[in-house]
Amino acid sequence: MATTQDLLPRESLLWIFAAQFVALLPQFTQLPLWVPLAWAFAVYWRLEVFRGRRDLPGRTLKLLVILLTMAGLAISYRRWFALEPMVALLTLSFTLKNLELVSRRDAFVSLLLAYFVAATLFVREQTIPYALYGLLSVVVITAALAAQLGSFSARPRRALGLSLRLLAQATPLMLLLFVVMPRLGPLWSVPQVTSAGRTGVSDSMAPGDFTRLSKSDKPALRISFDGPIPPPEQRYWRGLVYSEFDGRTWRQGVGVDPRNGGQVYWKSGERPLPQVGPRYRYQVIQEASRSPWLFALARPVSDSSGVGETLDDRLVKHSPVYSRFAYEVRSWPRGSRNMSASLSRAERNRNLQLPPSGNERTREWAESLGRRGLGAEEISARLLARYNREFTYTLSPPALGSDSVDEFLFGSQQGFCEHFAGSYVFAMRAAGVPARVVAGYQGGEWVSGERYLLVREYDAHAWAEIWLDGRGWQRVDPTAAVSPERVRDGLESAAGEEFMQDSLLPLHRVDILVKLRLQWDMINYRWHQTVVSFDSEKQRDTLQRLLGDISPLRMALLFAVPCALLFLGALLWIWCSGRARKLPAAERFYQKFCQRMARAGVVRRSGEAPRDYALRITREKPQLASLTQRVTSAFERAAYGGDAEAAKELRRLVKRHFGLLDLASVQVDKLKQAGR
Amino acid sequence: MVISWWSGWYAKWILSRLEWMSVLRNPARFLTDPLRGAMQRWLSRRAPRSRSITLNHSRLFILPTRAGLGFLLVIMLLWLLGTNYENNLVFALTFLLVSVFVVLPVHTFANLTGLRLQLLGTSPAFAGDFAEAQINISREDKREREWIRLCWLPEEGAYLDLCEQASEDIRISMPVVERGRVQAPRLRIESRFPLGLFRCWSRIDLDVEFLVYPRPISAGPLPFGGVQTEGDFGEVRHGGDDFSALKAYQPGDSLRHVAWKQYAAGRDLYSKDYESRTDVRLWLDWALLDGRDVETRLSNLCYWCLQAEKQGIVYGLRLPGVVIEPSLGPSHQREMLQALALFPKWGS
Repeated sequence: MATTQDLLPRESLLWIFAAQFVALLPQFTQLPLWVPLAWAFAVYWRLEVFRGRRDLPGRTLKLLVILLTMAGLAISYRRWFALEPMVALLTLSFTLKNLELVSRRDAFVSLLLAYFVAATLFVREQTIPYALYGLLSVVVITAALAAQLGSFSARPRRALGLSLRLLAQATPLMLLLFVVMPRLGPLWSVPQVTSAGRTGVSDSMAPGDFTRLSKSDKPALRISFDGPIPPPEQRYWRGLVYSEFDGRTWRQGVGVDPRNGGQVYWKSGERPLPQVGPRYRYQVIQEASRSPWLFALARPVSDSSGVGETLDDRLVKHSPVYSRFAYEVRSWPRGSRNMSASLSRAERNRNLQLPPSGNERTREWAESLGRRGLGAEEISARLLARYNREFTYTLSPPALGSDSVDEFLFGSQQGFCEHFAGSYVFAMRAAGVPARVVAGYQGGEWVSGERYLLVREYDAHAWAEIWLDGRGWQRVDPTAAVSPERVRDGLESAAGEEFMQDSLLPLHRVDILVKLRLQWDMINYRWHQTVVSFDSEKQRDTLQRLLGDISPLRMALLFAVPCALLFLGALLWIWCSGRARKLPAAERFYQKFCQRMARAGVVRRSGEAPRDYALRITREKPQLASLTQRVTSAFERAAYGGDAEAAKELRRLVKRHFGLLDLASVQVDKLKQAGR
Repeated sequence: MVISWWSGWYAKWILSRLEWMSVLRNPARFLTDPLRGAMQRWLSRRAPRSRSITLNHSRLFILPTRAGLGFLLVIMLLWLLGTNYENNLVFALTFLLVSVFVVLPVHTFANLTGLRLQLLGTSPAFAGDFAEAQINISREDKREREWIRLCWLPEEGAYLDLCEQASEDIRISMPVVERGRVQAPRLRIESRFPLGLFRCWSRIDLDVEFLVYPRPISAGPLPFGGVQTEGDFGEVRHGGDDFSALKAYQPGDSLRHVAWKQYAAGRDLYSKDYESRTDVRLWLDWALLDGRDVETRLSNLCYWCLQAEKQGIVYGLRLPGVVIEPSLGPSHQREMLQALALFPKWGS
């Protein structure tokens, strides 16, 4: 039973609601609309209860509400083992707790839960704005905890000030723990964010897909090199290989897609490494794409955990990239890592596959080239020359009908990278040359301060690879034949006026803003490098840099020295803080006298006047009578009369009689008594 | 001689047996009793009794509250969340909360240390009622102190803040059951400032002693004339109807009693003294309540005292070994009640 003292006062309730609001606000945008409405309703009800207009809901009503929310969750999500329904469940239990927010204990439970809700925000996003917002919520929740004590602490300035002070004092230790505390891997598999739409290059390519990407300037990859840097025309970040064409859409196809039978080597030692060393070493930080495709130069190997290699020379992640993901890659030079010198029958068939009908004109044209007995390279050269002569590169190509390749090659002759890559591979296949479409990013922008390459969504690109007997897969970029600037200088210079034409504010035209955006991206990059991707490996590096060598002794020193210093400081302060003010000298000496008398067997009663005490001593220990008399009278004169001489006398008396020889003097007195 | 020694020894032996049997009946006492005793002895050594106490590290204790343990649980859950999602921001939050948990006890301790408590006085109370002590709490430094609770467990006690003012007087009360001089148990001073996750407390002995009067229990109407007038003991009451003598006038004598006739005859100023032979003086006598046990008698006498004082009737008290002459007024009442409170207890 809650006593009256335990009932929540008004300011306490308001603080709890404020903390809940701050913790829930970012979740509200992600949750179905009825969840925030339920929260607002619960708060309204609780405030009505506070005003005395309503009662707290009874048991049946609560049960009904719980059943309703469960049904709502089941309808909204239809699945349980994912992050969103879990967060929604947490939010709802947090909300329903308001309907039984009665005692101080309930308030504590609600606020402790708020910390947890605030933390789930970070699982979704780890960017700087989110981190700042998370910090804000922690400040407010801590202030709400402080305000629970009521009265003076509940004033907003005082509570927030207290919370800020506490958190500021906690920061140094937090940083130390952040660096030192070991990171274990995941202990069990956890639900992930699944609902948000995929971004970036998708696992299929239809006309118009890449035009959509060209309108987004969101960062996709950040790549930093260790050692040599590839020249711009070599910066092809391969992500997907499309082998199957149905007349309109290119797909990976059965047996290639790792989710659909494609073989993946998850362990780095599974395939032998060539004798020569890698040409490029680099780290890629990939933004969340919610799909498992990773991006790297050709012939990559990665030792990062959860990263595998496919047979068609690219990297995939074990699970979709739900949040920023960093991986180390080494890429080998051409020829050193050609796994198979010849194409298997199945591979050849797959890369010659064409839909049974459609695009007849292209087929005819290509077959005629093939019939003339031209080699693969010559056919390719003719096709590229044709592109170069007659085609234009544009971001807004005309719409194409059902025979899209025919219409493009012999009709509109205007297109974006996907049109060129698609028609090129179609024509090559029709001419009998195994070919495939490769999708990924091409290019990137140097952020000079950090020496990393920033690849944005509009750098998405599609190109082709053809099989040359004896030389293996060879990259061919048909777009480069039309618009070499696209490959050399990027989309912005290739597309000219068309670049980012539809964006609401043409911010990319304002120079200073472009610079500011790059600066901001650099800060983001640093943030990700130092904080978000701080794993056990980086931890080891940091400690090694700090300590020189990671030995248990040095680790102990790193941790123990600051702790010991803090502890000593605290001890000193504790020692000094509780000391009472010094008593006047006369009082002090008189107390010493009382102590000695107590040891001799006469304890001064509390509140007993010195004179009464002296009388009692005289009565009980006659041998101490004269001394007591003198001490008492000296004390009275010194303490009440302000007599300096008396104070000195008191000091002399107490010192002389109760020095080291105090007990002996008592003995002597006793002997004298006996002698008489 | 030998027999009496033997019987004394035997009685002691039986008592010790009984003691053991009570332990057997409640085995937990076997552990708690020595512990409680040791605790009390340790406390009295560590924090001795005094009327003025300054709180310091040797008197203060600090431990997490239940909410504090809940906070630790949340930290554990956050750590699991951070580990499973390999999420450094969740880790940062976890470590921030851990550090707050480390910093907190210092603040809680600082809220109490250096406080000076002084017993100002106690007021007497009736058994079965609440006795009240006045205590002054002051701080000598500039630090603001908040949310300090002072109580005798399990009472709610009093809460106070020392923010703007440096010193405050408060009254706290505890229920008293037995009459007599009652030594109050150790007073508990505690604080959960700033977040309520730690409780810092001290159990201090401010040497609080209450004078507790017997519980007033009604014993019927006041016993007028219930006392037999024997011999010449106080049966004469001044101020009756019958003239008895002339006496020299003293300032304060009623003018109606001045012997104007004699004054007119040229003599000094005399006043006429009257006295009553019917003894209506009220004696609250121990003997009136024969047949009841000691505490009930005292309670009944106490009730009569209060009644007589309320009705403005002059009254006196006779207890074995104590006689208080009839009178009226607050100081008289206090004297009477004190006599009742301090009447020796049965068996002691």
